[in-house]
Amino acid sequence: MLFQSQVYVLAFLPLTVALYYAVAGSAAARQWVLIAASLVFYGWWDPRFVILVVSQITATWLLARAYEQTGARAWLIAGVVLNLASLGTFKYLDFLLASFEVATGVVFPRAHLILPIGISFFSFQLISYLVDRMRGNAPLYPFRPFALFVLVFPHVIAGPIVRHNELVPQFALDPRREGMWAGIGAGLVIFTVGFAKKVLLADRLAPTVDQLFAQATQRVLDFGEAWTAGLAFSFQLFLDFSAYTEMAIGSALLFGLVLPENFRRPYLSTDLRDFWRRWHISLSNFLRDYLYIPLGGSRHGASRYVFATIVTMGLCGLWHGAGWTYVAWGLWHGIGLIVCRGWQQLGRPMPTIAGWAFTMLFVLVGWVVFRANGFASAGSILGSLAGLNGFGGVLAEAKLIALAALASAIIPSAHEMKDRLLRPMPVVAVVTALLAAFCVFEVGKGAPVNFIYFQF
Amino acid sequence: MPDWRRVVMLFLGIFAGGIVAAALFILLVDPFDMVPFSLPIERPLVSGSQRFAYPQVMRSKRFDSIIVGSSTARLIDPEQLNGPFNARFANMAMNASSAWEQWRTFEYFRRNAGAPKVLIIGIDDGWCDPNADRDRIRHGFPEWMYDDNKWNDYLNLFNSGTLEIAARLVGYHLGLYRARSRYDGFEVFTPRESDYVLERARAGIWMGQAPRPLPNVPPPTLSDQEKSALKFPALAWMNTMLGELPASSMKVLAFMPVHVAAQRWPGTREAAVEAECKARITAIGRAHGAKVIDWRIASPITTNDSSYWDGLHYRLPIAQRIARELIEAAVNGAESPEGDYRLLAR
Repeated sequence: MLFQSQVYVLAFLPLTVALYYAVAGSAAARQWVLIAASLVFYGWWDPRFVILVVSQITATWLLARAYEQTGARAWLIAGVVLNLASLGTFKYLDFLLASFEVATGVVFPRAHLILPIGISFFSFQLISYLVDRMRGNAPLYPFRPFALFVLVFPHVIAGPIVRHNELVPQFALDPRREGMWAGIGAGLVIFTVGFAKKVLLADRLAPTVDQLFAQATQRVLDFGEAWTAGLAFSFQLFLDFSAYTEMAIGSALLFGLVLPENFRRPYLSTDLRDFWRRWHISLSNFLRDYLYIPLGGSRHGASRYVFATIVTMGLCGLWHGAGWTYVAWGLWHGIGLIVCRGWQQLGRPMPTIAGWAFTMLFVLVGWVVFRANGFASAGSILGSLAGLNGFGGVLAEAKLIALAALASAIIPSAHEMKDRLLRPMPVVAVVTALLAAFCVFEVGKGAPVNFIYFQF
Repeated sequence: MPDWRRVVMLFLGIFAGGIVAAALFILLVDPFDMVPFSLPIERPLVSGSQRFAYPQVMRSKRFDSIIVGSSTARLIDPEQLNGPFNARFANMAMNASSAWEQWRTFEYFRRNAGAPKVLIIGIDDGWCDPNADRDRIRHGFPEWMYDDNKWNDYLNLFNSGTLEIAARLVGYHLGLYRARSRYDGFEVFTPRESDYVLERARAGIWMGQAPRPLPNVPPPTLSDQEKSALKFPALAWMNTMLGELPASSMKVLAFMPVHVAAQRWPGTREAAVEAECKARITAIGRAHGAKVIDWRIASPITTNDSSYWDGLHYRLPIAQRIARELIEAAVNGAESPEGDYRLLAR
């Protein structure tokens, strides 16, 4: 089920909220309501995948319990291996076979497995829990809140990636506690902001992006088309994913649950390290804590830092998709982060505007590689972007791109809205309610468009 | 009452009220004439999309005969045909429609208005498309409107597109908006004749290139093996359509006249493939007793740039000429003295 679909907004969400508050006095009943709703939500795409996610959760919990009873770390390692194996099988098997095929010339049969939606997200959350158990940073939770921590529908498909200790304790809190109305009010506004960004901006950029990146596999785009493709995708991706996050955070707030921040206006970043502190924050934090620091981080010399950064960002790319263009995108950012840190250590700061322009150009080049249907078309688009194929053509959809740029620059993050900006003013209710109603009718025009990050 | 509580209640009230009010507006105005309890008002075709507008025409039972096709058949005026064919035609041709869409349209007519007294299929490229079964739908064809499930009709009504059409219908009754087309589907969608500029049309017809003389060469001969490898998936649908009609229905397969510059160029393999497709269509037509008329040839119409707005779309006087010739060919079985068409099956 998609957050922006009429069935979610008009039926699923209101019904779930009503049921949840009807049994709010009992923590167990509240949690069962959320578990049942989350299974319906997740199974809406393909009920078969419910079996997979429930199996992974159950197996992980049983292994964590076995560790509790025996103290043998092998149980936890088995859990990590199990989750990685599931992710590897469903997401990377055909990619690995294809890569072996290219390297060896031996033809392998393909599995052609359907990618279970959200598998990267829920597998990572389960792994993070097991690693935290190993480190002694996580207790053995009762099964119900543990399952809910992974399943709870606002974040199960595409994050934000939540730590167990951020979410599980919240399940015990009565949602009718002080601040309930402020939370619900903020949730409605934040959800509506995401709803509007998705329906009115991101989805309107999608046809241009799809068309130009498809054409780039057949012919050389001109200068105007290449810039249209690069800019339109840059804004589409941000608006789509941040919209998803806002709808997730907004939905969770209706249940008295706070999900972590994921974006802080990343296109205002003035250097690449700043960008990664603002873009997909929950993933950045996850990679930092579970990969980058264990690999040595920045405190064990320059060569270890370079190694840790390159490996972390290469795997970050691979996490996004089973394709070498994703790996290249990750490595591009890894190199960029190393250069950026090196420059900053020189102590010669770049003028802010130059830093911003350079960072955005760097990010845009990365997005072209990220989105392109292969290295050949990525190279072709980048060549056109640089003017190697002349300077013909014009920027298409210029008004829409300008509007998307404006929205990306001025719309505050969900937590900024919740914690600092929103005030209980009637005008806020009137404007957002009308906007939400308009979006409900607008999205009804055609089949709702999937979020880009659902494929990762 | 705490402030945030008031804000939440206000939000929910306006949101729910807005949704309910807009939904009621759509249901009561009912621009596609599908809601049983809607207001009893006249509902002309105010939608800009023929795909959305036509189902109500076919359900109205005001028509007993149908024209399906793409924009190359839209200028055929039903009123010109009604008398000579002794029929009441609805022209349900849609811009850029696929063969699949035309089949679905025919089926919808058949289920709701009965087997047509006369069926005219305006044939163009889509029927010979080798990928017709893959690329079935164009321009957001609303399949839900063309099935027998009424519930999905209601669910699909609640969107800003329908809201806009409902507002247009109210505008029509307030004298602010005109019907988009006649209720029988006929609409002059080409520009006004007084705006016609030959040079501009010629640039469109020949894609900015200099007009080329038409070579008088036959298409290359395809071997039996090559012919049997050719696939025209839409022809199975045509066969089904014609097979569903009783013997009393008149069936007309009309290859519509696009400019020679938009036809397959003589002497090319594409021309040979098209000739094979035409032959198969003719065979299907003959098997079902249909009249097969071919305007898609080099003729006084299709070789004359001044007949067209662009490569595909002929002008209104030409449309009237084609309608006259359609009557001559289909009703009287007459050949074209000018060579405008060939009668492939009578």
